[in-house]
Amino acid sequence: MPADRRPAGGAAPGTPALSVRGLRKSYGDTTALDRVDLEIAQGTIVGLLGHNGAGKTTLMSLVAGLRRPDAGEIEVLGRSMARDARRARRELGLAPQELGIYPPLTVRQNLRFFAELAGLRGRAARQRIEEVAEPLALNALMDRRAAHLSGGEQRRVHTAMALVHRPGLVLLDEPTAGVDVETRARILAHVRELAAQGTTVCYSTHYLPEIEELAADVVVLHRGRVLTRGGVDELVRRHGDSAVELVFSGEPPALDLPWPVTRHGDRLRVRVEQPQLVTGRILAALGDAAAGLSALRVVKPTLDSVFLRLTAGTPGPDAGEDRNRDERTGAVRHG
Amino acid sequence: MGDSALNRMTALVRQDIRLLLRDPAPLLIRTVMPLVIMGFMQPLFRAALQAGGAGTDVNGAEQGVPGMAVMFLFFMMNVVGFAMFREHGWNTWDRLRAGTARPVELLAARLVVLLAAAVLQLTVIFVAGGLLFGLRVSGSWLALVVVALPLALSVVMLGMALVVLCRTISQLSVVANILALVFAGLGGALTPQSAMPDWAVPFAPFAPSHWAMRGFNEAILHGGGVPDVLLPAGVLCLFAAGLAAVTLVFFRAEDRKLSWS
Ligand SMILES: Nc1ncnc2c1ncn2[C@@H]1O[C@H](COP(=O)(O)OP(=O)(O)O)[C@@H](O)[C@H]1O
Ligand SMILES: [Mg+2]
Repeated sequence: MPADRRPAGGAAPGTPALSVRGLRKSYGDTTALDRVDLEIAQGTIVGLLGHNGAGKTTLMSLVAGLRRPDAGEIEVLGRSMARDARRARRELGLAPQELGIYPPLTVRQNLRFFAELAGLRGRAARQRIEEVAEPLALNALMDRRAAHLSGGEQRRVHTAMALVHRPGLVLLDEPTAGVDVETRARILAHVRELAAQGTTVCYSTHYLPEIEELAADVVVLHRGRVLTRGGVDELVRRHGDSAVELVFSGEPPALDLPWPVTRHGDRLRVRVEQPQLVTGRILAALGDAAAGLSALRVVKPTLDSVFLRLTAGTPGPDAGEDRNRDERTGAVRHG
Repeated sequence: MGDSALNRMTALVRQDIRLLLRDPAPLLIRTVMPLVIMGFMQPLFRAALQAGGAGTDVNGAEQGVPGMAVMFLFFMMNVVGFAMFREHGWNTWDRLRAGTARPVELLAARLVVLLAAAVLQLTVIFVAGGLLFGLRVSGSWLALVVVALPLALSVVMLGMALVVLCRTISQLSVVANILALVFAGLGGALTPQSAMPDWAVPFAPFAPSHWAMRGFNEAILHGGGVPDVLLPAGVLCLFAAGLAAVTLVFFRAEDRKLSWS
């Protein structure tokens, strides 16, 4: 029964909520996704991070079965999108990037429609609608027409519509784009609650603090490729730019150190793995020049710097064009 | 129970009824306008019928009521188009596709509601024609129904075929409005079939409206019963089937359609 189904929809406990292998998609000459592999374990949150045009929306629409991949396999809780699309879709809730609601209808009618489509009726539907409305603070808006709501309120309705059928895997495509602070906080809090209840969430954004706030696993998507994957701390440790920064009142002196030193106007930046352990040695190396020092700062790496560093100057999928073409012949056909 | 095709269809039909009730104006206008035109044109229709040899006891409603009903029914293709295109304008089409409903279910549910609306529109115009303009049916009312149902179906299917073939709502509305006028002329809805210009006569059988008017005239003017309208009703069914085939062949659920923008 859909009404009291477990979030995972009866899939075996070890089955990934989402498994994507060798996914490729081009629009004409534009390669939007190039050999993307992605696995998401049940009950976890994955932040899909990438600039505009990285392929986030394309990936989500392929997973939701809105477009057919050129090659590759997609399984939602063990169900193949190519061979068993309807079972796969039953486990899936998509809140697309663009607001998709019925403006002439009330919030309740919008939610009820999606509940009814999923086979919920009467009491079960009403109860489920309450359940999704409450955490997104929609209760007071239920009888208002969607057209008359603020942008943030509409966005919450839009998100709630993806949740009424209790999907095991929720795809939220930039759910906080253009919303107010309160709505952002609501949505983020609810994503954490969903994961705590066992729902898997794939959350796309180009806004880094959100991923840090969600404590999500990060998948960095860049020009159609997965660049890296890991926890926020892990990525920061692996790819972060930690440094000691020295500000001088006059001209910065030359420094002789075993680490790379760069000069930016009145300051010097020393790139080191663990800056807090080496400040003494840096000060010693300054010698007399320490008199001109006006400030010393330990620069902690942020996800921001990791992201910028990872995506700077990485060749896009177009660079390997010829190779791609060769491999395409042997590609698994989808659909 | 649960997630069945019937449940999904019911949900989709209920949704379309809600949306129709939210904004019934387009349908109301297409029901009221033929009656207004009828009010002004009745004497002209009477003269035309008499000149065509229909005898002296006709009052004009015999031509005007079915004629205007047919003409304005074809304008309903716009309503069909809007019902499909607005889902693209609201970005809800992809949300529906991401759910478990099959694309064909999405079309079929819409068809049910639009067909009901078309039948309702015809019913109101014929009933109002009887009450306001003294329409008398010399043959069988049932024969009218036998023509009206496949007529409504072919109009809705024509609208669906246009939805599938057009990329923007403005393309659709241009084609729909021109087709509605051409069909009204060719079918003998605008003027009696007896008064049609010679050049138009050979083209008339290609218009579904021609068969609709033939069936209606048979029942209203010539005392026809159900057996007398089976041919026109059958041809209308063929039109509907042909248009359904066009719709299914060219329908791509993933096509982007431009609504307003
Ligand atoms: N319908 C489309 N037709 C042509 N190109 C597209 C289409 N959708 C996306 N693209 C292109 O594919 C690439 C990936 O886009 P998208 O998946 O929307 O990225 P993101 O969501 O990360 O911003 C971009 O280069 C974009 O221009
Ligand atoms: Mg996007």
